[in-house]
Parts: sequence; C-alpha cells; structure tokens
Amino acid sequence: MITLLVILIILMGFLGVPLFAMILAATMLGFYTAEVDFTIIAVELYRLAGTPMLIALPLFAFVGYILSESNTSERLLRLTRVFFGWMPTGLAIVSLVICAVFTAFTGASGITIVALGALLLPALIKDGYEEKFSLGLVTTSGSLGLLLPPSIPLILYGIIVQQMNLGQKFTLPELFMAGLLPAILMILMLALWAAWNTRGIKLEKTSFSLNEAIAAVKEAAWELPLPLFVGIGIFGGYLAISEVAAVTALYIMIVEVFIYKEIKINGLVKVVTESMKMVGGILLILGVSMAFTNYLVDAEVPIHLFEWVKSNVDSKLTFLILLNIFLLILGAILDIFSALVIMVPLIVPIALNYGVHPLHLGVIFLANMQIGYFTPPVGMNLFIASYRFKKPITEIYHASIPFMLILMVAVLVITYVPWLSLWFVDNG
Amino acid sequence: MSLSFLKKVHQLLLKTEVGLLVSLLLMMIIIAIIQIVMRNFMGAGLIWAESLLRITVLWLALLGAMVASRHSEHIAIDVLVNKLPETLKRWIVRLSRLTTSGICFVIAWYSLKFVIDEYQYGGIAFGFVPNWFCEAIIPVSLGIIAIRYLISALLLDGLNEGEK
Repeated sequence: MITLLVILIILMGFLGVPLFAMILAATMLGFYTAEVDFTIIAVELYRLAGTPMLIALPLFAFVGYILSESNTSERLLRLTRVFFGWMPTGLAIVSLVICAVFTAFTGASGITIVALGALLLPALIKDGYEEKFSLGLVTTSGSLGLLLPPSIPLILYGIIVQQMNLGQKFTLPELFMAGLLPAILMILMLALWAAWNTRGIKLEKTSFSLNEAIAAVKEAAWELPLPLFVGIGIFGGYLAISEVAAVTALYIMIVEVFIYKEIKINGLVKVVTESMKMVGGILLILGVSMAFTNYLVDAEVPIHLFEWVKSNVDSKLTFLILLNIFLLILGAILDIFSALVIMVPLIVPIALNYGVHPLHLGVIFLANMQIGYFTPPVGMNLFIASYRFKKPITEIYHASIPFMLILMVAVLVITYVPWLSLWFVDNG
Repeated sequence: MSLSFLKKVHQLLLKTEVGLLVSLLLMMIIIAIIQIVMRNFMGAGLIWAESLLRITVLWLALLGAMVASRHSEHIAIDVLVNKLPETLKRWIVRLSRLTTSGICFVIAWYSLKFVIDEYQYGGIAFGFVPNWFCEAIIPVSLGIIAIRYLISALLLDGLNEGEK
C-alpha cells in the first residue's frame, strides 16, 4: 500500500504536479505512517522565518532582476569589448567573462542568454567566428558564473547546509572563496578552447581606442563599482551578507530608476513581483523540503542510505565518480534550486562520511548542475537558446556538446583536486 | 452576491498582493540599512529588527508563491506533459492541478489549526506583534494557492505558456 502511494507520488511529479505539492504529498504520507499530526508541517514552514541567512536571498534576487530589466548588459559589453577586444580571440573571452559576471548576479535563470546572448551572438558571427562555435559558446555561457558571488544557488547551498547542524561549519564568505578558483578554471579552459578552435580563422579585432575606453567607462560608471563593492562587502568582514544585499539593492535601485532612468516606477513594481515570484517558488520548495527532511531524519533514512552506499562503494574516489554521474543526470532533469533543496540534505551526510569537505561538495554540486543546464536532451538553457536564437534544438545540441565535454573535464579536475576549492582552509 | 462584486474583491486581492510585496521588500531594505547605520555610528541597533526581517522573508516568500500560482507558474517537471497529444494533455493538466489544489487545501487546514493553537497560547514575536499574526500568512497563502489551482483546473488557462 505504502509503496503504491510512493509510486503514485513520483508519477504525479512526472505528470506536472508542482514540486512543492509533490514534496508536501510525500511529507504527509510520511507523517501519516509515523502517526504525527500534520500541524508539524506548518511548524516546519514557519522555520523559513528562523533562518537569518535567508534575508540575503530575496534582496539579491531583486538586484538580479533589476540588472536584467535595464540596459546593463549593453554597457557591460561595450566596456569589456574596449578592454579585452584587442586580444587574440578577444570577443570570445569577453563573452565568457561578462556572461560569468552577469550570471553571478542574475542567478542563471536563463536571463544571461536572453539578454546578453542576443547581443553577443551577432557580434561574434560578425567578427568571423563560426556560427556553430558561437551558438555553443553563448549557450554554455548562460550558466557560467554560478560559482561566483553573489550567486543565489551558492547562497542557497550555504543556507541548507548551515541549518543541518553538521560537525564541520563554514561561513558564506568561505563558500564564495571556495567557488572562485574553480570558476576561473572553467573560464580559462573555455577560453583556451576558443583560441584553439579559431586558430585558422582570420578574426576581426577591435583595436584599443582611448576615447572609446573613456566613453565606455563613463557610461557604465555607476554600475562599474558593483562587483568590487559586493566583493569588499562580502570578504571585508564589516557587513553581514544580508546587509551587503540590502545596500546593493538600494544602490542599484537608485542607479537604475533615478540615474539611468531605465526602469520606471511601474516597471519597478513589475521587477519586484517577478523576482518575488521566483523567490516564493524556491522558498516554498525549501520550506516543504525542510518538513520532508525532518521526517526522513526521524525515519533514519539518511543513515540507511549511507549504510547502503557504504556497502556498495568502498573508496572516496569511486564515491566521487558516482556522485558526479548522479549529479549530471540530476542537473539535466531537475532545475538547480529544486535539486539543491531536495538532494543536499541527503548527500551531505554521506559525503562527509567519505571525508569530503562540505565546501568542496558545494562546489562539485554546483559545477555539475551548471553543466546540467545545457545537457541534452532536456537542459533548460538549450530550450531557451533555441527559442531566443530561433535555431532548431538539434543544432543547439551539436553546438554545445564540445563545450559540455570541456566543462566535464573541468569538473573532474575540480572534483579530484580539492585544493582548488579548499586552499584557504586550514589542513583542508 | 453579483459577479461584478466578486470581480472587485478579486481585483482588490491582486492589488493587495502586489502592494504588500513592494512595501515589504522596500521596508526590508530600509530597515537593514538603518541597522547598519545605527550599529556603526551609534553603537546600538533596533532589537526587534532582526526578527522583523526574518519574518518578512517568510511573508515575501509566501506572497510570491501566491502570485506565482495566479498562472500556475510553480516549478514542475513538465517535459513529459508537453509531449503528450493535446486531448490527453488537457486532462492530465486538469488532474495535476486538481491534485495540487487538494494537497494545498489539506495543508492550509492544518496550518490554520496551528495558528489557532498559537493564538490561544499567545506568544510574542517582536515588539507588540504576536506570533500567531506572523504565522497567519501560512494558511492564508496556501488557501489562496489551493483556490487558484482549483480554478485553473476548471478553466484550464495558460496551457501552452510552459513551452517558452
């Protein structure tokens, strides 16, 4: 009977019942068999109000939506083009860098492809890059930067692990530090691929012009300090992450509404609504998952799961390989937020037992999810790219596969060289 | 009750949701900044600010979830459903929205019980604001999400919007 109901709930999920409702159903089933009153689910939902770190989440989401509603992407492109455009394969590198920065702020919601990709793709092709290569580059870059602060998935991972009460503690700034080198590694590897791929082709280069540089800096002057400012805010130690988020939100709101005047007051209402819809969707899933995890812990599921894994997987190395495969598949079928909220509470205790540091695990997790965004056949960014660039989905598949393979190599390096994520941790 | 009256109530609800979202988010930004200023320049802070901010996150999240349910925009695995033939798809979508509605009704009911319990117990969250008031958003939002999914199961709106 119970097995039947479990199958029914999973079936519901594949037939389009929202994830939050599916998890709620599973939680109810669990507490029903354990004879616990359902009011506990409300108590668990209320725990959303008991997690101080969560304050940063709606604020950074709001910042991301403001940036994507204004013409920041155009200014960013103009600016980086002046400074990097003269280098060999300059525009490809420009694309990688600005997509990474933009995604860090907007959280890989596909906005990078919609807003920046539409500017970059024609520019790349005009400069002489192959169309297939350019398509792949732009599609791939849509999820680059997930490991850079203040990426929302990274913050969410920190929040979930923090409220699990593990032995090994870490702070959000440490998590951001852990993501830095792996993110740079990915960008470097993709840049090298771009250089290799275009070796025989004569590319147009933008020569450096001082006047253009000054004009571009002037135009973006108000937004230029933003990454620096967030960086100092997070790593400087004067402010809590939520405070950095609040100051950033106020600053960027004033800049886009009153200085650039690209967002009207009505538009601001729309930005708030859209960003809070996303936050609401994620946090509702987080809230119900906390209830579900609570049931799972009561039923000792993580312990049984660990014992089962332990009896089948004997070394840390095999565990990590299996973890990578599992996460790649997961990332292709589930969106990043749901995957984080549902799987992190189950995977973290197991990984800890194999001696994987939670910071390292977070980086591995997100790096895999990043690839999942454009893994055929169902990676979300493939569809967004196909829709945005009006190209058949199969063409997008072909274009992004080489990039996917390169990033997989990067993920392997990140996984088996923990130093990249843990260089600042004592005896990590 | 006439239909136009219901329409007005609905309009009011839509406006209240958005109005609350905007004012809560702005309040959150302002209070967080006042906190920073007070802590760094006056060596003190508002004692209730931390609790207020945390509870605001809950409200923002649940209000956002309510707004997302206006057009059934909650995160779901819809790859399979979108591949089904049109007639079958319509029935599956109806069924899944009805199921979602039912689940939310049950949880809304138990959350209401929780809030009533808390009302009788009478704890204070911060300042003079009682716990039950902060928690009341849970049954309210889940109830409205349930109603919206019920209506969208009947009207079957926004069927092809998920394919963007």
